[in-house]
Amino acid sequence: MPGWAEILIRSIVFLTILFLITKGLGKKQMSQLDTFQYITGIVIGGIVAIHVSDVTANVAYGILALAVWFFIPFAVEFMALKSKRFRNFVQGKGTVLIQNGKIMEDNMKKERFTTDELLEELRNNNVFKASDVEFAVLEPTGQVNVLPKKENQPITPKILGQKVSPEKEPQTVIMDGKALLEPLANASLNTNWLETELDKMNVSIENVFLGQVDSDGQLTVDLYDDQLTVPEPTEKPLLLATMKKCQADLELFALATESQESKQLYQQNSERMQQAIDKITPYLQ
Amino acid sequence: MTVSSQVKGCYSSIKSIEATLETLVSKTQDQEAEKTLKDVQNTMKTVKSDLEKQVLYLTKEEPQYKS
Repeated sequence: MPGWAEILIRSIVFLTILFLITKGLGKKQMSQLDTFQYITGIVIGGIVAIHVSDVTANVAYGILALAVWFFIPFAVEFMALKSKRFRNFVQGKGTVLIQNGKIMEDNMKKERFTTDELLEELRNNNVFKASDVEFAVLEPTGQVNVLPKKENQPITPKILGQKVSPEKEPQTVIMDGKALLEPLANASLNTNWLETELDKMNVSIENVFLGQVDSDGQLTVDLYDDQLTVPEPTEKPLLLATMKKCQADLELFALATESQESKQLYQQNSERMQQAIDKITPYLQ
Repeated sequence: MTVSSQVKGCYSSIKSIEATLETLVSKTQDQEAEKTLKDVQNTMKTVKSDLEKQVLYLTKEEPQYKS
Protein backbone atom coordinates (compact mmCIF):
# COMPACT_ATOMS: atom_id res chain seq x y z
CA MET A 1 0.00 0.00 0.00
CA PRO A 2 1.45 3.38 -0.94
CA GLY A 3 2.27 5.72 1.91
CA TRP A 4 -0.31 8.36 1.00
CA ALA A 5 -3.14 5.83 1.02
CA GLU A 6 -2.09 4.57 4.42
CA ILE A 7 -2.01 8.07 5.85
CA LEU A 8 -5.44 8.69 4.36
CA ILE A 9 -6.90 5.58 5.97
CA ARG A 10 -5.16 6.25 9.31
CA SER A 11 -6.46 9.82 9.30
CA ILE A 12 -10.02 8.69 8.82
CA VAL A 13 -9.77 5.95 11.44
CA PHE A 14 -8.23 8.21 14.08
CA LEU A 15 -10.58 11.05 13.27
CA THR A 16 -13.49 8.73 13.97
CA ILE A 17 -11.94 7.50 17.21
CA LEU A 18 -11.11 11.02 18.33
CA PHE A 19 -14.66 12.12 17.60
CA LEU A 20 -16.07 9.27 19.66
CA ILE A 21 -13.67 9.95 22.56
CA THR A 22 -14.61 13.63 22.66
CA LYS A 23 -18.28 12.68 22.63
CA GLY A 24 -17.68 10.14 25.38
CA LEU A 25 -15.87 12.60 27.63
CA GLY A 26 -18.85 14.86 27.44
CA LYS A 27 -19.71 18.46 26.86
CA LYS A 28 -17.71 19.68 29.84
CA GLN A 29 -14.52 19.11 27.93
CA MET A 30 -15.55 21.57 25.25
CA SER A 31 -16.03 24.66 27.35
CA GLN A 32 -13.79 24.56 30.38
CA LEU A 33 -10.46 22.88 30.83
CA ASP A 34 -9.26 22.05 34.32
CA THR A 35 -5.76 20.69 34.93
CA PHE A 36 -6.61 17.13 34.16
CA GLN A 37 -8.58 17.77 31.01
CA TYR A 38 -5.84 20.06 29.78
CA ILE A 39 -3.26 17.26 30.05
CA THR A 40 -5.62 14.73 28.48
CA GLY A 41 -6.34 17.01 25.59
CA ILE A 42 -2.69 17.57 24.78
CA VAL A 43 -1.71 13.91 25.06
CA ILE A 44 -4.60 12.58 23.01
CA GLY A 45 -3.78 15.12 20.32
CA GLY A 46 -0.16 14.05 20.36
CA ILE A 47 -0.95 10.35 20.12
CA VAL A 48 -3.24 10.91 17.16
CA ALA A 49 -0.75 13.18 15.39
CA ILE A 50 2.06 10.61 15.68
CA HIS A 51 0.01 7.68 14.48
CA VAL A 52 -1.53 9.50 11.59
CA SER A 53 1.64 10.92 10.10
CA ASP A 54 4.14 8.20 10.96
CA VAL A 55 3.42 5.15 8.77
CA THR A 56 5.92 3.02 10.69
CA ALA A 57 4.00 3.41 13.96
CA ASN A 58 1.78 0.53 15.00
CA VAL A 59 -1.90 1.42 14.76
CA ALA A 60 -2.92 -1.08 17.43
CA TYR A 61 -0.55 0.56 19.92
CA GLY A 62 -2.01 3.92 19.05
CA ILE A 63 -5.53 2.73 19.69
CA LEU A 64 -4.42 1.12 22.97
CA ALA A 65 -2.84 4.39 24.11
CA LEU A 66 -5.96 6.29 23.18
CA ALA A 67 -8.10 3.83 25.11
CA VAL A 68 -5.93 4.33 28.22
CA TRP A 69 -6.14 8.10 27.89
CA PHE A 70 -9.84 7.86 27.43
CA PHE A 71 -10.56 5.61 30.39
CA ILE A 72 -8.30 7.28 32.95
CA PRO A 73 -9.91 10.73 32.65
CA PHE A 74 -13.28 9.02 32.58
CA ALA A 75 -12.51 7.19 35.83
CA VAL A 76 -11.04 10.32 37.40
CA GLU A 77 -14.13 12.31 36.56
CA PHE A 78 -16.32 9.59 37.98
CA MET A 79 -14.35 9.51 41.22
CA ALA A 80 -14.33 13.30 41.39
CA LEU A 81 -18.11 13.16 41.21
CA LYS A 82 -18.16 10.96 44.31
CA SER A 83 -15.54 12.57 46.53
CA LYS A 84 -15.06 16.23 47.29
CA ARG A 85 -11.48 15.77 48.51
CA PHE A 86 -10.47 13.91 45.38
CA ARG A 87 -12.12 16.63 43.32
CA ASN A 88 -10.15 19.33 45.09
CA PHE A 89 -6.99 17.40 44.36
CA VAL A 90 -7.48 16.74 40.64
CA GLN A 91 -9.48 19.75 39.58
CA GLY A 92 -8.02 22.29 41.96
CA LYS A 93 -9.78 25.00 43.89
CA GLY A 94 -10.43 28.58 42.96
CA THR A 95 -8.10 31.25 44.30
CA VAL A 96 -9.59 34.39 45.77
CA LEU A 97 -7.99 37.42 44.15
CA ILE A 98 -10.12 40.16 45.70
CA GLN A 99 -11.99 39.87 48.97
CA ASN A 100 -14.01 42.55 50.75
CA GLY A 101 -12.82 44.94 48.06
CA LYS A 102 -9.15 44.33 48.93
CA ILE A 103 -6.71 42.78 46.49
CA MET A 104 -5.04 39.66 47.91
CA GLU A 105 -1.43 40.19 46.85
CA ASP A 106 -0.21 36.93 48.39
CA ASN A 107 -2.74 34.84 46.48
CA MET A 108 -1.83 36.64 43.27
CA LYS A 109 1.82 35.84 43.84
CA LYS A 110 0.96 32.20 44.45
CA GLU A 111 -0.82 32.00 41.10
CA ARG A 112 1.84 34.16 39.41
CA PHE A 113 -0.87 36.57 38.40
CA THR A 114 0.40 40.03 37.47
CA THR A 115 -1.43 43.26 38.21
CA ASP A 116 -1.86 43.85 34.49
CA GLU A 117 -3.45 40.45 34.05
CA LEU A 118 -5.79 41.15 36.94
CA LEU A 119 -6.85 44.45 35.42
CA GLU A 120 -7.31 42.78 32.05
CA GLU A 121 -9.51 40.09 33.54
CA LEU A 122 -11.53 42.68 35.43
CA ARG A 123 -12.05 44.60 32.20
CA ASN A 124 -13.15 41.34 30.62
CA ASN A 125 -15.89 41.37 33.23
CA ASN A 126 -16.78 44.96 32.35
CA VAL A 127 -15.15 46.38 35.47
CA PHE A 128 -12.65 49.16 34.87
CA LYS A 129 -11.98 50.20 38.46
CA ALA A 130 -10.56 47.71 40.93
CA SER A 131 -12.32 49.56 43.74
CA ASP A 132 -15.70 48.64 42.22
CA VAL A 133 -15.09 44.98 43.00
CA GLU A 134 -16.29 43.29 46.16
CA PHE A 135 -15.05 39.80 45.38
CA ALA A 136 -13.12 38.17 42.55
CA VAL A 137 -12.00 34.59 42.21
CA LEU A 138 -9.65 32.82 39.82
CA GLU A 139 -11.35 29.59 38.86
CA PRO A 140 -9.41 26.35 38.28
CA THR A 141 -10.21 26.76 34.59
CA GLY A 142 -8.24 30.01 34.51
CA GLN A 143 -11.28 32.23 34.27
CA VAL A 144 -11.76 35.17 36.63
CA ASN A 145 -15.24 35.76 37.97
CA VAL A 146 -16.18 39.03 39.58
CA LEU A 147 -18.86 40.13 42.02
CA PRO A 148 -19.15 43.93 41.84
CA LYS A 149 -20.02 45.92 44.92
CA LYS A 150 -23.74 46.18 45.50
CA GLU A 151 -23.97 49.77 44.26
CA ASN A 152 -22.23 48.81 41.03
CA GLN A 153 -24.43 45.86 40.27
CA PRO A 154 -26.95 46.23 37.48
CA ILE A 155 -30.42 47.25 38.56
CA THR A 156 -32.87 44.39 38.76
CA PRO A 157 -36.61 44.52 39.49
CA LYS A 158 -35.79 43.03 42.88
CA ILE A 159 -33.61 46.01 43.85
CA LEU A 160 -36.35 48.37 42.71
CA GLY A 161 -38.86 46.36 44.70
CA GLN A 162 -40.96 45.88 41.58
CA LYS A 163 -43.15 42.93 40.89
CA VAL A 164 -42.71 41.27 37.53
CA SER A 165 -44.76 38.53 35.99
CA PRO A 166 -43.15 35.13 35.75
CA GLU A 167 -42.31 34.12 32.22
CA LYS A 168 -41.60 30.66 30.93
CA GLU A 169 -39.42 29.89 27.94
CA PRO A 170 -41.00 30.70 24.56
CA GLN A 171 -41.65 27.93 22.09
CA THR A 172 -40.51 28.17 18.50
CA VAL A 173 -43.53 27.00 16.55
CA ILE A 174 -42.68 28.04 12.97
CA MET A 175 -39.32 27.61 11.32
CA ASP A 176 -38.58 28.28 7.65
CA GLY A 177 -42.26 28.42 6.77
CA LYS A 178 -43.15 25.13 8.40
CA ALA A 179 -45.14 24.55 11.58
CA LEU A 180 -43.32 22.50 14.22
CA LEU A 181 -45.73 20.13 15.89
CA GLU A 182 -43.80 19.19 19.01
CA PRO A 183 -43.23 22.73 20.36
CA LEU A 184 -46.86 23.50 19.55
CA ALA A 185 -47.93 20.56 21.68
CA ASN A 186 -45.58 21.72 24.46
CA ALA A 187 -47.43 25.02 24.53
CA SER A 188 -50.70 23.03 24.50
CA LEU A 189 -51.74 24.58 21.19
CA ASN A 190 -52.52 23.10 17.81
CA THR A 191 -52.24 23.90 14.12
CA ASN A 192 -55.79 25.25 13.99
CA TRP A 193 -54.88 27.87 16.57
CA LEU A 194 -51.77 28.73 14.58
CA GLU A 195 -53.77 29.19 11.39
CA THR A 196 -56.26 31.44 13.17
CA GLU A 197 -53.51 33.61 14.65
CA LEU A 198 -51.76 33.90 11.28
CA ASP A 199 -55.07 34.81 9.66
CA LYS A 200 -55.51 37.55 12.24
CA MET A 201 -52.09 38.93 11.26
CA ASN A 202 -53.00 38.48 7.63
CA VAL A 203 -49.88 36.46 6.72
CA SER A 204 -49.53 33.00 5.22
CA ILE A 205 -47.36 30.41 6.90
CA GLU A 206 -45.07 30.05 3.84
CA ASN A 207 -43.99 33.64 4.33
CA VAL A 208 -43.01 33.16 7.97
CA PHE A 209 -39.30 32.66 8.61
CA LEU A 210 -39.58 32.30 12.36
CA GLY A 211 -42.55 32.26 14.71
CA GLN A 212 -42.47 32.03 18.49
CA VAL A 213 -45.13 31.74 21.13
CA ASP A 214 -44.57 33.04 24.65
CA SER A 215 -45.99 31.50 27.79
CA ASP A 216 -49.05 33.76 27.59
CA GLY A 217 -49.92 32.41 24.15
CA GLN A 218 -48.87 35.50 22.18
CA LEU A 219 -47.50 34.76 18.73
CA THR A 220 -44.67 36.86 17.30
CA VAL A 221 -43.39 36.26 13.77
CA ASP A 222 -40.57 37.31 11.49
CA LEU A 223 -41.35 37.27 7.78
CA TYR A 224 -39.16 36.53 4.77
CA ASP A 225 -40.43 39.70 3.21
CA ASP A 226 -39.07 42.46 5.43
CA GLN A 227 -41.10 45.11 3.60
CA LEU A 228 -44.29 43.84 5.18
CA THR A 229 -45.10 45.04 8.66
CA VAL A 230 -46.59 42.65 11.15
CA PRO A 231 -49.04 44.05 13.66
CA GLU A 232 -47.77 43.98 17.23
CA PRO A 233 -49.83 41.95 19.66
CA THR A 234 -52.47 44.39 20.95
CA GLU A 235 -54.63 42.24 23.18
CA LYS A 236 -52.86 42.97 26.48
CA PRO A 237 -52.21 46.72 26.08
CA LEU A 238 -55.80 47.08 24.93
CA LEU A 239 -57.09 45.26 27.98
CA LEU A 240 -55.06 47.47 30.32
CA ALA A 241 -56.24 50.61 28.52
CA THR A 242 -59.88 49.51 28.74
CA MET A 243 -59.52 48.80 32.44
CA LYS A 244 -57.99 52.23 33.04
CA LYS A 245 -60.77 53.86 31.05
CA CYS A 246 -63.46 52.07 33.07
CA GLN A 247 -61.80 53.11 36.30
CA ALA A 248 -61.71 56.73 35.17
CA ASP A 249 -65.36 56.53 34.04
CA LEU A 250 -66.46 55.23 37.42
CA GLU A 251 -64.62 58.05 39.15
CA LEU A 252 -66.35 60.53 36.84
CA PHE A 253 -69.78 59.04 37.60
CA ALA A 254 -69.02 59.30 41.31
CA LEU A 255 -68.30 63.00 40.91
CA ALA A 256 -71.30 63.66 38.68
CA THR A 257 -74.04 61.95 40.64
CA GLU A 258 -76.01 63.68 43.34
CA SER A 259 -77.42 60.58 44.98
CA GLN A 260 -75.26 59.65 47.99
CA GLU A 261 -75.99 55.98 47.52
CA SER A 262 -74.91 55.90 43.88
CA LYS A 263 -71.86 58.00 44.68
CA GLN A 264 -70.73 55.46 47.23
CA LEU A 265 -71.30 52.57 44.85
CA TYR A 266 -69.29 54.23 42.08
CA GLN A 267 -66.47 55.12 44.44
CA GLN A 268 -66.26 51.65 45.86
CA ASN A 269 -66.10 50.07 42.44
CA SER A 270 -63.61 52.59 41.17
CA GLU A 271 -61.33 51.59 44.05
CA ARG A 272 -61.83 47.94 43.21
CA MET A 273 -60.87 48.65 39.60
CA GLN A 274 -57.76 50.51 40.74
CA GLN A 275 -56.68 47.56 42.87
CA ALA A 276 -57.31 45.17 39.99
CA ILE A 277 -55.25 47.37 37.66
CA ASP A 278 -52.35 47.49 40.12
CA LYS A 279 -52.46 43.75 40.44
CA ILE A 280 -52.60 42.92 36.76
CA THR A 281 -50.23 45.56 35.35
CA PRO A 282 -47.04 43.44 35.67
CA TYR A 283 -48.73 40.69 33.68
CA LEU A 284 -49.84 42.95 30.87
CA GLN A 285 -46.49 44.57 30.16
CA MET B 1 -75.39 61.04 26.06
CA THR B 2 -77.49 60.49 29.12
CA VAL B 3 -76.02 59.25 32.35
CA SER B 4 -77.81 55.99 31.85
CA SER B 5 -76.20 55.34 28.48
CA GLN B 6 -72.77 56.28 29.81
CA VAL B 7 -73.10 53.82 32.66
CA LYS B 8 -74.31 51.22 30.20
CA GLY B 9 -71.22 51.82 28.06
CA CYS B 10 -69.01 51.32 31.07
CA TYR B 11 -70.93 48.17 31.94
CA SER B 12 -70.30 46.65 28.53
CA SER B 13 -66.60 47.60 28.70
CA ILE B 14 -66.38 45.68 31.96
CA LYS B 15 -68.01 42.72 30.26
CA SER B 16 -65.45 42.88 27.46
CA ILE B 17 -62.61 43.06 30.01
CA GLU B 18 -63.98 39.98 31.69
CA ALA B 19 -64.10 38.07 28.42
CA THR B 20 -60.53 39.06 27.49
CA LEU B 21 -59.36 37.93 30.91
CA GLU B 22 -61.09 34.64 30.31
CA THR B 23 -59.15 34.03 27.10
CA LEU B 24 -55.89 35.04 28.79
CA VAL B 25 -56.55 32.60 31.63
CA SER B 26 -57.08 29.78 29.19
CA LYS B 27 -53.93 30.65 27.22
CA THR B 28 -51.42 31.19 29.99
CA GLN B 29 -49.05 28.38 30.95
CA ASP B 30 -48.01 29.79 34.30
CA GLN B 31 -49.78 28.86 37.53
CA GLU B 32 -49.10 32.15 39.29
CA ALA B 33 -50.21 34.26 36.33
CA GLU B 34 -53.35 32.16 36.08
CA LYS B 35 -54.15 32.77 39.75
CA THR B 36 -53.70 36.54 39.48
CA LEU B 37 -55.77 36.71 36.33
CA LYS B 38 -58.56 34.73 38.00
CA ASP B 39 -58.44 37.06 41.02
CA VAL B 40 -58.82 40.07 38.77
CA GLN B 41 -61.58 38.31 36.90
CA ASN B 42 -63.48 37.84 40.18
CA THR B 43 -63.08 41.53 41.00
CA MET B 44 -64.48 42.32 37.57
CA LYS B 45 -67.48 40.10 38.30
CA THR B 46 -68.23 42.04 41.51
CA VAL B 47 -67.91 45.37 39.72
CA LYS B 48 -70.11 44.07 36.93
CA SER B 49 -72.92 42.96 39.24
CA ASP B 50 -72.82 46.32 41.07
CA LEU B 51 -73.00 48.21 37.80
CA GLU B 52 -75.82 46.00 36.60
CA LYS B 53 -77.87 47.07 39.60
CA GLN B 54 -77.04 50.68 38.85
CA VAL B 55 -78.08 50.31 35.22
CA LEU B 56 -81.45 48.92 36.28
CA TYR B 57 -81.87 51.70 38.82
CA LEU B 58 -81.05 54.38 36.25
CA THR B 59 -83.48 52.96 33.69
CA LYS B 60 -86.16 53.26 36.33
CA GLU B 61 -85.13 56.85 37.07
CA GLU B 62 -85.03 57.91 33.43
CA PRO B 63 -87.76 55.82 31.82
CA GLN B 64 -87.97 58.20 28.86
CA TYR B 65 -84.48 57.07 27.74
CA LYS B 66 -85.21 53.39 28.08
CA SER B 67 -83.46 51.48 25.32
